Amino acid sequence: MTKYWIYTLIAGLLEIVWVSGFKYAHDFWTWAGTALTLLLSFFLIMECLKKLPVGTLYAVFTGIGTAGTVVTEMVFFHEPVRIGKLILIAILLAGVLGLKALSGEKQGGEA
Amino acid sequence: MGWLFVLLAGSCEVIGVIGLNKVSQKKNIKNFLLMEAGFLSSFALLSLAMQTLSMGTAYAVWTGIGTVGSIVMGMLFFGESRDRKRLFFISLVVFATIGLKVIS
Repeated sequence: MTKYWIYTLIAGLLEIVWVSGFKYAHDFWTWAGTALTLLLSFFLIMECLKKLPVGTLYAVFTGIGTAGTVVTEMVFFHEPVRIGKLILIAILLAGVLGLKALSGEKQGGEA
Repeated sequence: MGWLFVLLAGSCEVIGVIGLNKVSQKKNIKNFLLMEAGFLSSFALLSLAMQTLSMGTAYAVWTGIGTVGSIVMGMLFFGESRDRKRLFFISLVVFATIGLKVIS
């Protein structure tokens, strides 16, 4: 069980890497790395789906992805820190997490 | 253009999710192609959107549209529940997306 939560965490961190690649990849090797991390993160999530509750799994994964990209762009890519934007992204994330949690508790398949 | 691309990327993700659901019901080439086409075009459009939008904004809006879109499709076409809690969370995502557009 714990092993699969560690996989989820790794998949979330890889997600931040490939999303960054979508914006900043610029040559063959950076695009190859982007594709590789994307495939690996999806593979890990597919593995976790077999063992973990789907609503919670997606919530953790999306949460890491959203918060992670925002922090990464500010820390590593010198994006200006704007409070209004951070608050709105937090509201958006709350909406997404609420929806994922509800669909997880009801039927656990979709979204 | 960035906002148009991210809206289209979210819509393509919804198509990918529909394909994924169909693949899980019935594994055939048609369903598999629908899933692949949806996700691949979604990724390509997200990447285009990020050339002008900030990475965090584009990713959050993309995830938001994908999630809300899949759930609204479920409500409209697959008879899923429309309870108030779900509508409330959908309105949060819509509000935040519009807000991000306004301040960008």
